[in-house]
Amino acid sequence: MIPLSWYLTLSAALFSIGMFGVLARKNAVAILLGIELMLNAVNINLVSFWRYNNPVLMDGQVFAIIVFAVAAAEVAVGLALVISIYRRRNTVVADEIDLMKW
Amino acid sequence: MTAAQIIFLITAAVILGSAFMVVTTKNLVHAALWLIVTLFGAAVLFATLNAGFIAVVQVVIYIGAIAILFIFAVMLTRRSMTDTGPGLNRGWWLSAAIALLTFGGLVWLVSGWGGFTKAAPAYPSGFDAVAALAHALVSPEAFVLPFEVASVLLLAALVGAVYIAFQRKGEE
Amino acid sequence: MPQPQDYQTLLPVIVLAVWACALLLLDSFLIQRKGLTACLAAAGLAITLGLTLSQIGRSSSGFSGMVVLDGFSTFINALQLVSGLLGVALAYAYVKRMGIERGEYYTLLLFSVVGMMLMAQATDLIVVFIALEMLSIPLYVLAAFNRTQAASEEAGLKYFLLGAFSTGFLVYGITLVYGATASTNLSAIFAAASSTSNLLLTIGAALILVGFGFKVAVVPFHMWTPDVYQGAPTAVTGFMSSGAKIAGFAALLRVFATAFPAIAADMTDILWALAAVTMILGNLVAISQTDIKRMLAYSSIAHAGYILMAFVPYGNPAVAPVSIAAGLFYLAAYVITNFGAWGVVIALEQPDGKGLQISDYSGLFWRKRGLAVAMTVFMLSLIGFPPTIGMVGKFYLFRAIIDGGFTGLAIIGVIASLVSAFYYLRVVVNMFMREGEQKIEREFWLDLTWGAAAFLTVAISLAPGWLFYLASAAGLR
Repeated sequence: MIPLSWYLTLSAALFSIGMFGVLARKNAVAILLGIELMLNAVNINLVSFWRYNNPVLMDGQVFAIIVFAVAAAEVAVGLALVISIYRRRNTVVADEIDLMKW
Repeated sequence: MTAAQIIFLITAAVILGSAFMVVTTKNLVHAALWLIVTLFGAAVLFATLNAGFIAVVQVVIYIGAIAILFIFAVMLTRRSMTDTGPGLNRGWWLSAAIALLTFGGLVWLVSGWGGFTKAAPAYPSGFDAVAALAHALVSPEAFVLPFEVASVLLLAALVGAVYIAFQRKGEE
Repeated sequence: MPQPQDYQTLLPVIVLAVWACALLLLDSFLIQRKGLTACLAAAGLAITLGLTLSQIGRSSSGFSGMVVLDGFSTFINALQLVSGLLGVALAYAYVKRMGIERGEYYTLLLFSVVGMMLMAQATDLIVVFIALEMLSIPLYVLAAFNRTQAASEEAGLKYFLLGAFSTGFLVYGITLVYGATASTNLSAIFAAASSTSNLLLTIGAALILVGFGFKVAVVPFHMWTPDVYQGAPTAVTGFMSSGAKIAGFAALLRVFATAFPAIAADMTDILWALAAVTMILGNLVAISQTDIKRMLAYSSIAHAGYILMAFVPYGNPAVAPVSIAAGLFYLAAYVITNFGAWGVVIALEQPDGKGLQISDYSGLFWRKRGLAVAMTVFMLSLIGFPPTIGMVGKFYLFRAIIDGGFTGLAIIGVIASLVSAFYYLRVVVNMFMREGEQKIEREFWLDLTWGAAAFLTVAISLAPGWLFYLASAAGLR
């Protein structure tokens, strides 16, 4: 059987990769992709804790569903912002959006 | 090494490899496609954890809706696909250091926790997780409140997204 | 079936959420009369405020411990609704002047207030999480609301990206807490925390602190604040600098005081350091600002540091009630003063974005005495100078902190306040000494907002006992 540590290590790695994406990428869409990776790490954590604590209690799965809903809402608003800015400026690169210092 | 462990290791390698490609590929369409691979790997993990419903939702919502939305957004802002400059900041090595530190710190700290290496309890035979999840989502004894708030949240996000992305007459 | 008690516990939130949805529908029929939408939104907030006030003294819990109604939530909710009302009053003429008069503004504002109120009542981490998103997502859109200005859209994008990033930390922390205690309910976490190893819980709590730190703009998670506050429409900035702060601090307090007393020893040091760095850096950087919106943004960062001071002794049952009451009093004082100051900024702002430099305030006293006197009152209150509510708030706060045995932190706070006098007084000196020209926007609701805020700032400082009594009654026990 797989110990819980494997899942937790994987999710920590995925979280860190996502964090790297947010901090290092210049393009707003790419930053958003990094945030999605972080939220997936969260879901891996939630589902594995659910399975390893007490699978009869559904908290973990419910929480994962709520995270799905929140991720969808965030992506909708975020991509709307990206498209709107692109229309005006023809760029979605974070560094080039420099009316205000980033 | 059991079959389950081999499946886990292969899936984990796919997840991390594709996640690495998501954050380093210059071409954004490719990055979004790599994200789909990552999401699919996570769905496989959910299935091996007896969370079949979550795995299906992952494929339908995350891959079917969110990742596709990303590809749409990249297509609509297509000039950024052919951006010639580097995809990463000049300070990317600092970000990499922070990310490595976070990973090391998280694993190091969490491994000190008593339940770190615990094995999963036996999955109760005959337990219908989907029915239990359905009850949990709509029962006032459980999670009906976050479930309902999520619907209002999606409405608010919808209104906001429409307002922002809507192109009115007179705007170019 | 949900019991009547479930509905009673959450009645104001439910009413406001239904009102917001109805307003969304109704707004599509009020094509040319967006002023009416504003009035309806204000009416909804006022009715909800009435309901909230009618709940004073009651306490119950609902939805199997997901939410509670107690003195703390009633105090915070009343404060949120007042700031929602002031937010509508600031926006009423501002959106017309800026050419962004759209019904969605008020609907989104109401949705945001729903999230803020839910956050003060939440006793389950799932509800805390979704309430945080409920308040944030409308704010991202509102920050980007002025589509005629590129700066506003970029403020929205920046706020969104950093907000979503911080949500990642928050929710990752929540999963670790859930893993350690097998529950998301705050009291169940408290019960489990005393019996299990606390390590995972501590990491989880630290990540949750990072998530909330972004929301309330605590150094080193503050870097979005100046740009977003500057770029967002000023009426939105006024609303979000109060509302998001109240909600963030309310949830932080609820979560830490209810679920995490077991790890207070570790958390106190972290909170101490965060509060000290925030006060010092916020005030120092504010000195070099020339734009009034950026200056007030750094001022808001510094004030987050002062309020965070009240949280430092949260695990010490002998001191915590007093210091939390002082924190709540300070929060209320900050909200009143802050709305007044943003009201004055709106009165001087021009549709083309001019009138926002500190030098634009030159000679204001000789042109519009009332406005200049009000601004002087707000600046003095932000410093903590008598006779203003800010002074009373700082007095209670520092006294509580010293009683709690954190004299060093209180000294840092006092020094930071002295430093802050420099940049606040520069605005005052500008208004009285120099010559200048400015065009001032007169509008009834706007004038009422800054006028009432100035009156309250002085009046409450003369008789602060009742507000402090309310704040103490609201304290978490």
